[in-house]
Amino acid sequence: MAKTLISIKNLKASIEGKKILKGINLEIKEGEVHAIMGPNGSGKSTLASVLAGREIYEVTNGSVTFQGKDMLSMSPEERSREGMFLAFQYPVEIPGVSITNFMKAAVEQHREHKGLEQLTPSEFLKMMQEKKDLVEIEAKLANRAVNTGFSGGEKKKNEVFQMAMLEPKFAVLDETDSGLDIDALRIVANGVNKLKNKENAFLVITHYQRLLDYIVPDVVHVLYNGKIVKTGGKELALELEEKGYDWIKKEND
Amino acid sequence: MALKNELSKEEFVAIFENSKSKSFAEENFINLAANNLKKYNLPTKADEEWKHTSIRKILQHKYFIGENLDLDKNQVNLFTIPGLNAYRLVFINGFYSKQFSDEILNNKGLIIKNIADAKKSNPELINKYFENTDISSENFFTSVNTAFSFDGSFISIPNNLALDKPIHIINFSDGNNKKTISQYRNLIIAGKNSNVQIVNSFHSLTVNYTLTNISTEIILEENANLNFNIFQGEGDDAFQINSTKVNQEKNSNFSSHTITLCGSIVRNDLKIEHKAENCETNLFGLYLPDREQHFDNNIFINHAKPHGTSNQIYKGIIDNKASAVFLGKVFVGKGAQKTIADQTNRNILLTQYAKVNSKPQLEIYADDVSCSHGSTTGQIDKEALFYLQSRGINRRRAEVLLLGAFISDVIDAIKVEPLKIFVNILVNNRLNGEKVDGQCAMVSGCPGCDNIE
Ligand SMILES: Nc1ncnc2c1ncn2[C@@H]1O[C@H](COP(=O)(O)OP(=O)(O)OP(=O)(O)O)[C@@H](O)[C@H]1O
Ligand SMILES: [Mg+2]
Repeated sequence: MAKTLISIKNLKASIEGKKILKGINLEIKEGEVHAIMGPNGSGKSTLASVLAGREIYEVTNGSVTFQGKDMLSMSPEERSREGMFLAFQYPVEIPGVSITNFMKAAVEQHREHKGLEQLTPSEFLKMMQEKKDLVEIEAKLANRAVNTGFSGGEKKKNEVFQMAMLEPKFAVLDETDSGLDIDALRIVANGVNKLKNKENAFLVITHYQRLLDYIVPDVVHVLYNGKIVKTGGKELALELEEKGYDWIKKEND
Repeated sequence: MALKNELSKEEFVAIFENSKSKSFAEENFINLAANNLKKYNLPTKADEEWKHTSIRKILQHKYFIGENLDLDKNQVNLFTIPGLNAYRLVFINGFYSKQFSDEILNNKGLIIKNIADAKKSNPELINKYFENTDISSENFFTSVNTAFSFDGSFISIPNNLALDKPIHIINFSDGNNKKTISQYRNLIIAGKNSNVQIVNSFHSLTVNYTLTNISTEIILEENANLNFNIFQGEGDDAFQINSTKVNQEKNSNFSSHTITLCGSIVRNDLKIEHKAENCETNLFGLYLPDREQHFDNNIFINHAKPHGTSNQIYKGIIDNKASAVFLGKVFVGKGAQKTIADQTNRNILLTQYAKVNSKPQLEIYADDVSCSHGSTTGQIDKEALFYLQSRGINRRRAEVLLLGAFISDVIDAIKVEPLKIFVNILVNNRLNGEKVDGQCAMVSGCPGCDNIE
């Protein structure tokens, strides 16, 4: 049986006193793909941010165990080095920091953490090239400042590129499909599928069934008003697409 | 009210009285400056231009005139800029060190030497250009400088010459167990169609309270192109008053970089005058005060003639309890139509105690101009910081990346390539909290170390 990779128990979080997550329970095993759907403002990105360690959210209750370790006590950078990755819904622009320097720093610190020898400059550049090819990023994009002046789709691709560089054990994709044209969607999904293996897991936050045609989930959850109110197989996504969220809201309000 | 042991104006001027005979300036200028001194008081916070910079800390010490100390080769080598192949002029405590200087006086009219000797060898040039900018009448410090300077640099680039390599003026201060005042009076002339790059760097050899008072006049003749770099790396107890006045003739192009990395109180006055039309001016500044250091840049650009352009980009990172001032005024006179002027000052405060007073100002009397200005002061972008951390980069390194990015445009604009590389390294070391050995002996500050928690 596959091992549990991450286990979230009764997780509650708030921001500025406002309760957003109201008791999330979620267990994800190695090799699995989970999807989270749910209406706007239900707390999906908040869950993603809390998992990544964003300090502005206050965790008031619950636990997150990642590969047997208490994840909530780790800094964001430690979580990353332990194998957590968040593809942001809204990646920030960082003028003046080139993607190459950014990834160099990140890869160095990941390798240091794992006790691996550092890459030579040419090994690093080769790795960059391979991963760029994977998500079909134009070479010149990598010489630009992080996300600065990128189109919406380019930003999303850049997130997947970073994921490919860092090869996480557990990746949360927060609406990585939104803003992508049909070709880009296919490219991004293919990238994810190539990175997928028996030992890692993905949590895909999306509003659209179409992504799930490419990245087929094992489990689909519905997050509403800070709680997971429904869990099912991939057919649940189809049902939601057809019926919308009203019936879910009715059941839970 | 003056503190008990605070120097008064009279006491300050009296420091120079005994060595008055060593002043190199012509009698009429000395008299003029002496007259100015009757008029000017030591600046206080009541003076508009000194509102945010108090010199009282400077006046707490009893100073002596700097001594003409021997330099040794290793000391000088320690402060050269790696890879910078330059004509060098070296001074210590206000005195010329001929031994370590590459003096030039050639038959084509190129002169690179000390001004006291240049006055004898080339009186016609000194007579023509000295006080061309009226710098002695600026304020108390430029008057003192004019009345009591022993020496300084004299550079004259003849018409049509593009100098083959930069000029590096190195000014050492050495308190040598005495609190010391040193002065430099520089005169730089770029002839018609000439092209030259100059670096003026300041360093301390020993740790003590020192005051360096520099007045530099720069004249750009028609179509001249001059790039001037001030690198300030004096010790932690060193005070510096640095006044530069620039006159630009038609079609000339003046650019400057003022890099202030160390010092206790550093005040830079930079005044530019467009004497004729179609002049271009690009001013860049970078200042990184930490602990209780205070760095002040005061800029005035007088667009007196049409078709001029000017651009200012000054950036600062202020740590601990340090403070900085940016006062930039662009004046566009009535006849200065088609002026394009832009002014930007940006600051990052690393602690809640760090302070900036930023005041970019435009005063416009012409109607057909395009002028803009902007000023921001803030903290490190928290969202960007989290983004970097979320990729496994520790907070410290993420901060360094963001701070480096913040100032990168100013560093990238440095034209003297070895200086650019050098500044990049020093700044990086500073941001990483490392001591900057030799170059900046006193600075062990560490922007970001005891941080914004
Ligand atoms: N910084 C903040 N300050 C105040 N409220 C916030 C903040 N961040 C999130 N919220 C609130 O928390 C709730 C959940 O937001 P979240 O971004 O997690 O929703 P979401 O499910 O990701 O929505 P969407 O589908 O639109 O992306 C919303 O009501 C939002 O307004
Ligand atoms: Mg969201």
